[in-house]
Amino acid sequence: MTRGEELTIEERVGRVHDVLAAARRLADPNDPLGEEARRLLPAATGLSEAGVELGLSRHLETSASDEDLERLVARAGFAPRVHVLLSANVFVAVVRAVALAVAASRSVRVRPSSREAVMAPLLHRAAADATGGAPFAICERVESSPGDVMHVYGRLETIDAVERESRPGVRVVGYGPGFGVALVDARSDPLPLAAERLSWDVIAFDQRGCLSPRVALVHGSVADAEAFADRLAAALDERDRQVPRGALTDDERREQALYHRTMSAVGRCHAGATFIVGVDPAPRALMLPPSGRHVHVARIEETSDLARLLEPFQNAVTCVGRNDPESSMTRSLVTLLRGARSLPLGRMQSPPLDGPVDLRGML
Amino acid sequence: MNRAAQERLRLHGRVRGFIEESASGGETSDDFETLACAIACYQADHVPAYARLLAAERVHPRSVTSVRALPAVPTDAFRLARIAAHAPSDDAAIFRTSGTTGAARGEHPLSTTETYECAALAWGRWALFFDAPPALTAITLGAGPGDSSLGFMLGLFADRFAVRAHRTTAVRGAPIDGADLAAVCDAASRADAPVIVMGTSFAFVHALDALGGARFTLPPGSRAMHTGGYKGRSREVAPDALRMDIAATFGLDTDAVVGEYGMTELSSQLYEGTLRARRGLSAPSSQHGFFVPPPWLRVVATDPDTLEPLGPSEPGILRFEDLANVDSAIAVQTADLGRCSGGAVELLGRAPGAPPRGCSLAIEELLAP
Repeated sequence: MTRGEELTIEERVGRVHDVLAAARRLADPNDPLGEEARRLLPAATGLSEAGVELGLSRHLETSASDEDLERLVARAGFAPRVHVLLSANVFVAVVRAVALAVAASRSVRVRPSSREAVMAPLLHRAAADATGGAPFAICERVESSPGDVMHVYGRLETIDAVERESRPGVRVVGYGPGFGVALVDARSDPLPLAAERLSWDVIAFDQRGCLSPRVALVHGSVADAEAFADRLAAALDERDRQVPRGALTDDERREQALYHRTMSAVGRCHAGATFIVGVDPAPRALMLPPSGRHVHVARIEETSDLARLLEPFQNAVTCVGRNDPESSMTRSLVTLLRGARSLPLGRMQSPPLDGPVDLRGML
Repeated sequence: MNRAAQERLRLHGRVRGFIEESASGGETSDDFETLACAIACYQADHVPAYARLLAAERVHPRSVTSVRALPAVPTDAFRLARIAAHAPSDDAAIFRTSGTTGAARGEHPLSTTETYECAALAWGRWALFFDAPPALTAITLGAGPGDSSLGFMLGLFADRFAVRAHRTTAVRGAPIDGADLAAVCDAASRADAPVIVMGTSFAFVHALDALGGARFTLPPGSRAMHTGGYKGRSREVAPDALRMDIAATFGLDTDAVVGEYGMTELSSQLYEGTLRARRGLSAPSSQHGFFVPPPWLRVVATDPDTLEPLGPSEPGILRFEDLANVDSAIAVQTADLGRCSGGAVELLGRAPGAPPRGCSLAIEELLAP
């Protein structure tokens, strides 16, 4: 069979399983490759050792249901050849990116990010050890031909640049940045439980993922919003002891200082050693806090608040975390943010392996 | 009239007195710190957001001798909350930030425009109109003033310093009607009176595009004033290249192309001192890219991590202490990177941080078109 021939469904699923098997080796701290990942990733990602461990043990995709794989394969499409250009992304995202590519094509070449060049080669080595060899290759340069598809992960300007510079006949599929929004219905779960769950979503990858929640909308009274922020601050404090935050970039540190001061003026600010929870009890607009471990809590009263507050961010929200999937507020939010994944609090960073993380434009 | 309103009127009067006295080079009846602290006390009592900030920082204007010891209100706060000492019913004007960034617009409510006008005219006169150019024609590029402070200021300049004013219009989807602008420039070139062309940097980019490479020789004594960035508004042009293009298009010396730096959240502006220096007048800086604040506006670079003021010449993010901001926030914290020395502010753009990690949306990206 040549590279141009389309894969059968079974072949596609089998290739994804090969990738997941390789990922299981990296998740295993007793596997030499798992040990190597734990040794190299802190420096490559800026995360703490505990932050890397959290990613590998809790968020790395190592299995998927048949139904999810069926959806992933359907969403992957087909291409004679796929090039995957990775960014200095959330490191576990390599698995999903490769899975999507190998489901789409028999010929997959993956170019790791220059800033995080650990995870993709490790995954490749883990896959290469298997009987059938790795279902993808690692490359340093992309040499595309007409008919090829390029999966580009990264910032919008990167995607735009690749699109501009790609050869005629090459299709570029961009997976850009985004952020998550949590919706907390104060009448559902107890607030401490919702805060506890959300805190795990926040700390994963030091909030640098495109699913990372940075805004929490609390449907309830001002007292509810403030109580939730109190509990979230307490939970983030506890998380910091368990999973210390890694280093911040210069931009993140500067934006953190400005966010702290802004929210001190606008509402209330809970500042811990590594996090800020800002509370706006009567939001006129939403503020997107910097990544790191910061959450902007805004109280909402009516469903009309959602459109008013989220309008500027409508195309940037990739994920909604909620504690009450049946509430009218949740339904309104999911409808408003068509394309955003809807996941329970505490699971925002672990979406099913049913396609790309970012489903905007697919739903 | 209640006590707060009386206090407000008194402060506005004192500030206008300070502006007029200092702009004329004389001694001021008030000293900067005394007046700034009096304004900060008034704002602590009447601007709820400022009171919250002071409480959070555990400091009060009555316990300090310098306004520098007080926290500055970040520009983002103007987007999220009303930063005003007076009730909305007493608004004489609300200046709003650009609405092109996708995010909510910042608002700066004023109980009177008199102090703003006083400050704008005084420092505009210092930087741009010091020679009282006779029979001046003002050409303003871009749309009507709407609710922007810049539009208000350019209208003010045209009213007070020019005898003829022309504002460009849009045409068939283009932001500027090139034929109309060319006709105005042609007519102005044949006249014997100087011209000032004013607008935002992106308006100049559109104007140059609309003129399609046409060249004019505006009469001697003509000048141009441009301000602001381009993000999301037009093709980006480096400031030096834009200045050269403006000078070449309108037949001006590059020193006569003066940069202005201002923002909605402030009531005062800074200018490059290039035109003054060219005419042999004193200016703390005669270089492009260095902006001179008026005596009623103090600027200091602050540490990006702590927001604490830095020493002279140290680069940091800029904090402004503006006496003319009687109604809102005496001290405003921006995210703009700069360096203050020798009575001028060098703008350095964005902080040179490491590239963002991960795929979380950067705030910068939200601001992208």
